[in-house]
Amino acid sequence: MPKNRFTRRRLLAAATPLVAAPVLGKLALDGGGGNAAAADHAAMSHAHRSLAMGHAAMIGPHAPAVGGPHDLDDLLYPPAARPHASGRVREYTLTAVDRELEVAPGVFFQAWTYNGTVPGPIVRATEGDLLRVRLVNAGTHPHTIHFHGIHPTNMDGIFEVVEPGAELTYEFEARPAGFHLYHCHATPLKKHIAKGLYGALIIDPKQLRPPAQELVLVMNGFDTDGDGENNLYTVNGRTFYYARYPIRVSRSQLVRVYLANLTEFDLVNSFHLHADFFRYQATGTGDHWEYTDTVMQCQGQRGVLEIEFAHTGTFMFHAHQSEFTELGWMGFFQVEE
Amino acid sequence: MHADPPSRTIGWRLWALGPVLLLAAVVGLFVSSGSSLVDLIGHNPPPADEVDIRRVELRQGEVRIHVTNPQSDAITVALVTVDDAIVPFTTEGPRKVKRLRSTTIVVHYNWVRDEPLSVGVTSSTGIQTTKEIAAAVETPRATAQGFLGYGIIGFLVGVLPIALGLLWLPSLRRVGANWLAAFMALTAGLLSFLGVEALAEAFDRQAVLPAGLGGAGLVLLGVAVSYLGMTFLSKSLRGRGTETGGLTLALLVATGIGVHNLGEGLAIGGSFAASELQLGTFLIVGFMIHNVTEGLGIAAPIAEGNDLPRLSRLTLLALVAGAPAIAGAWIGGYVSSDVLGVLFFAAAAGAALQVVVEVSRFVARRAPGGLGSGYAVGGFLTGIVVMYATGLLAA
Repeated sequence: MPKNRFTRRRLLAAATPLVAAPVLGKLALDGGGGNAAAADHAAMSHAHRSLAMGHAAMIGPHAPAVGGPHDLDDLLYPPAARPHASGRVREYTLTAVDRELEVAPGVFFQAWTYNGTVPGPIVRATEGDLLRVRLVNAGTHPHTIHFHGIHPTNMDGIFEVVEPGAELTYEFEARPAGFHLYHCHATPLKKHIAKGLYGALIIDPKQLRPPAQELVLVMNGFDTDGDGENNLYTVNGRTFYYARYPIRVSRSQLVRVYLANLTEFDLVNSFHLHADFFRYQATGTGDHWEYTDTVMQCQGQRGVLEIEFAHTGTFMFHAHQSEFTELGWMGFFQVEE
Repeated sequence: MHADPPSRTIGWRLWALGPVLLLAAVVGLFVSSGSSLVDLIGHNPPPADEVDIRRVELRQGEVRIHVTNPQSDAITVALVTVDDAIVPFTTEGPRKVKRLRSTTIVVHYNWVRDEPLSVGVTSSTGIQTTKEIAAAVETPRATAQGFLGYGIIGFLVGVLPIALGLLWLPSLRRVGANWLAAFMALTAGLLSFLGVEALAEAFDRQAVLPAGLGGAGLVLLGVAVSYLGMTFLSKSLRGRGTETGGLTLALLVATGIGVHNLGEGLAIGGSFAASELQLGTFLIVGFMIHNVTEGLGIAAPIAEGNDLPRLSRLTLLALVAGAPAIAGAWIGGYVSSDVLGVLFFAAAAGAALQVVVEVSRFVARRAPGGLGSGYAVGGFLTGIVVMYATGLLAA
């Protein structure tokens, strides 16, 4: 409804103030003034009612997340790193399939997936392995897999489009070591990514990283109403999932998080850890480690975090974009001894 | 008529049931065929899944969102956001809202007074409907105090100015026939302006209704009901006589204005309840000045009689024209129905236009020189110009 419905009359009144007006107007206004006072009172006095409000309403059974405690284990815990062995072949099969996913309680997203999940499965190899990834297109649109890394351009997943019902095997040496991504590069590109065709690619250095409790967190968003803006934000595909089921880690061992940003539409996403700091290695390459509690990643950027928790307890983590946090991208580490 | 025997007449009347039964059978067959007809042509698009957020009530630490499902498929309320944040919620009523049914979503939320607030309701298919509140203010509750407040507002903008306008009656009685005709024509001009405005408002309001509830036909319904109702009233009031004049005409004018003021009260009450309207001195004064001219319009038809009408009759006229503003303020303040709003404004348009016709007939009969006289034409145009000029002030 237009807000200026009464403008004409209001101005008419302004042009001709009447003698009796102030008195009568004041009389009429008394009700309104009383309400304003009541609202003030309301704002101050309901703090004690807020038991079920705020973050307390967003952890454990209260958190609006879908599914059971181990639903996302395959996306959270990467397969174990394997020491370098020359001539080894690592084989994966990724099947592109259309699937309706419940991404928030009661909210269903018509996703395009690799192997039925968004993000897709974690692909892992050690530098020097021969990666052989078979793409089977069981979906309704042409798809590809474009891997980030160093490989021949005919294995780049841009020109070799796999039609529905067809398949293609990508084969290349896994390099360089680091934390990378893969995603569909069929056009329209934005649509294929927003629909969910992406995942994490870990290439371990020949000299493996020190042992750690390893986790993969892929940040993403879901545009559920197709307006080119995300309605929901998650890590690993479900809103508030790690608030509902905090990630259990032990304080005594290093925690390593492979963090990637595959959010479409929004320029950047970020990760912020509460009550502690971590080391951050951009792209999982090089010798530079930043010591921080907040990192920002552009679309397609990723990196490796190493956390040595100083304390036990419940540690929140979330996007430092408050909007993303409150639209689903928030969780907890439950750190035990 | 044919002189059919009674039994045959009953038979033919029963025959009238035939098409109805056949229709029921055909509908049954069609429904049971499922989607096979659609499959012949193509695919049905998915349902829009947009709820109609009818009203957002703000209470201390609480946001209450009243939603209606405007489409034929049921909509499940899956997710609720306030200011783009997912919030826990409960519903008073079903979560899965069937066709044209409603539910109330209750959210515990520390909203900030006087700041904008947006609420969003997301369906199970991920379609989000949002509603913006320009400035959050606690929604007035139905208290005796508030009831009295709306009543006083209705009285101030409705009854009082019209009563004041009627006080012009003694002066009007002393003007000549030409000038009286001019004032009558002015009344018609004024009412025609109000009618057109109300009509535009009704169309505006129906346009934002969900497709299932809106439609220009709803406006036509309101206009037709009030126009024909007023025609019927006019005929009943004048009894056997063929001419409408004096008190009868004044009562008609008052009724027309009353229907208009019902809508006006509704708009004030509804806008205030929805925090869209700042209820200030100027607004109240604006309505008062505006409605004084309506009092003049009611006074004009009774100015020419020999006797001054009794005070009780004048009071009655003022109440008929003004009191609906009180009722409107109550309805608008405590009941929210957009459909009702459309109907009220459409009714105001119909009533105003009917009275314009009635008054014009009167002027045509009584004015020296009829409708074409300079006084009548000038009066009518002056009525419109007076209203339009106030619009220019706001431009």
